[in-house]
Amino acid sequence: MSPYANSVGALQAWLFEQAVQPVLYAFGAMGFAEKFFDATEWLILGAIEILVLYVLLRPLEAWRPAERWTDRQGVGADVIYTLLGRLGILPMVTFLLLSPVFDAIEGSLRLAGFEPFLLENLAPAIAASPLLSFALYFVILDMAEYWRHRLQHRFDWWWALHALHHSQRKMSFWTDSRNHLVDDVLAGAWLASIALIIGIPPGQFFLIIVASRMVESLSHANLRMSFGAVGERLVVSPLFHRVHHAIGVGHEGTHQGCNFAVLLPIWDVLFRTANFTPHIEPTGVRDQLSERDYGQGFWAQQGLGLARLASALMGRNR
Amino acid sequence: MLAFTALLATLPVTAALAEVVVVLNSGDASISLIDRATRKEIKRLPTGKEPHHLMQTPDDKRLIVAGAGSNDLLFLDSVTGEVQRRVKNIPDPYQIGYSPDGKWFVAAALRLNRVDLYKADDLSVVKRIPLPKLPSHVAFDRESQFVFTTLQESHDIAAIDLATQSIVWRLPVGQNPAGIWMTPDDKHLLIGVMGEDFVAVVDWRKRTIVKKIVTGKGAHNFQALGDGKHVFVTNRVANTISVLDQQTFTVVRSFATPSGPDCMEVSSDGKELWLTARWAQKVAIFDIPTGKLIDTIPVGRSPHGIYFRNHAPRR
Repeated sequence: MSPYANSVGALQAWLFEQAVQPVLYAFGAMGFAEKFFDATEWLILGAIEILVLYVLLRPLEAWRPAERWTDRQGVGADVIYTLLGRLGILPMVTFLLLSPVFDAIEGSLRLAGFEPFLLENLAPAIAASPLLSFALYFVILDMAEYWRHRLQHRFDWWWALHALHHSQRKMSFWTDSRNHLVDDVLAGAWLASIALIIGIPPGQFFLIIVASRMVESLSHANLRMSFGAVGERLVVSPLFHRVHHAIGVGHEGTHQGCNFAVLLPIWDVLFRTANFTPHIEPTGVRDQLSERDYGQGFWAQQGLGLARLASALMGRNR
Repeated sequence: MLAFTALLATLPVTAALAEVVVVLNSGDASISLIDRATRKEIKRLPTGKEPHHLMQTPDDKRLIVAGAGSNDLLFLDSVTGEVQRRVKNIPDPYQIGYSPDGKWFVAAALRLNRVDLYKADDLSVVKRIPLPKLPSHVAFDRESQFVFTTLQESHDIAAIDLATQSIVWRLPVGQNPAGIWMTPDDKHLLIGVMGEDFVAVVDWRKRTIVKKIVTGKGAHNFQALGDGKHVFVTNRVANTISVLDQQTFTVVRSFATPSGPDCMEVSSDGKELWLTARWAQKVAIFDIPTGKLIDTIPVGRSPHGIYFRNHAPRR
């Protein structure tokens, strides 16, 4: 048995049996046992991931900060977002909300004779190699995330929600998960819609997914770090993404911002939204300078986000 | 001399044909092939996403692995476990089954809430039947008049008339019914009521529950001992296996298992029971006469379906 299965697997089984399964049984939800068993693994991996991020990135942020702050007020809310997201709590809620809807849509499409185009049906080699299949999904889904991000900046109503992510004036590795809850549900619906068309990626490459999430956290770190002329074009770096969060350049202009890529900057190069100019500007949203309040705590941020969404839907200004 | 050479030539083939145990790692999208004699995993093959259940073809020469996430069927050699072919565009096949008359191939599409009926010979779809929540396992009557399915989230079972391809009745059986099993006399259906602690005995002709056999929390799936009298049931929450008498509907005995017991395979001599333990990520082997755990074999994530060729009769 691999060391992974020995340690994480054993802990997962124990935690599931002691804490999760009894609750499912008591509430008549044993039909979800497998989903919650998987979620238990995400919980454990998420906890390890947060610990590793903290141990690796916190000292780096202290050593070579992009910005020096006088205090850390406002960072705490981002920690809450990270715990909710990375421990799998928000993803599980989103799954429970969306899966009945999207399974019903898929069922209806199938009944109507629609057969989805599955990536692994492209070539026998892809079907025969889960890793190759995963790599293909990985690249396509990263591009899809680039375009979701473009649209978050493009539509006023979506920006009303996404601006919460940009409103952090003290951007750190905790900021990656700072999103409005409605925005999280929309992100889930976006991925589920794509899954209807191309299928879902193989689910066994947990560690690659965790590693890529850690790169996303790194890209938000308060860290003066570039990956070099070539590396900057291969993987999103803290410097590259800090430009995306800069007041003005990050959310204004022809494309309502620049450097939208999540993991692979190639999409910004291909779609002409890349900005490799190495400069560090203050992060945030322009209207914060004229005292617009995005809230300090989790609930205030959520409430104000809904208010901005309502205004945008009623056609008021961005 | 020629005969001796011929004998030698067959030796490697014989060695290659050592009996394999096929285990579906549903969480890893792979198949573990285990040498039944040495109890060692000899190979791990990639499959489509979410392989949950498998079954042998009616001639028992091939094995079908249903890929619920990859919407396909993999046909394997039932002796060696080697992949022979892949049939695409079978949507969400969770559990599958052939009708006893060999005319129908049925797939319960758990996620998509329906049961799909195919012609057994060419797997062409005849009808897709929408059902309430989570149709999971299937069973047939001897005459192949009906296919029965458990509906995990609407807490009942449904009977589908194969001639008219329509739902003819539904019957509430308890919280989250999972496994479904036809008794050898063709009179009763046994239902593993996973959200509770019993097996419901259904007189399907009268459409009534005639008995609830308390087996253990999380009663789940069935496999025959092969003597025409006894059937095993896994209790997923209690971590036990119960042996039921299919004539008296009583629990003969029970034994403890590693965590998350699910599917089972029984040796043709009735001595060994092989079990997938979902949460423990292991295959467990029991000595049936004593109920003792003989061995455990680590496999992949969330092991589910299990099969070997020299299995006991399915009754």
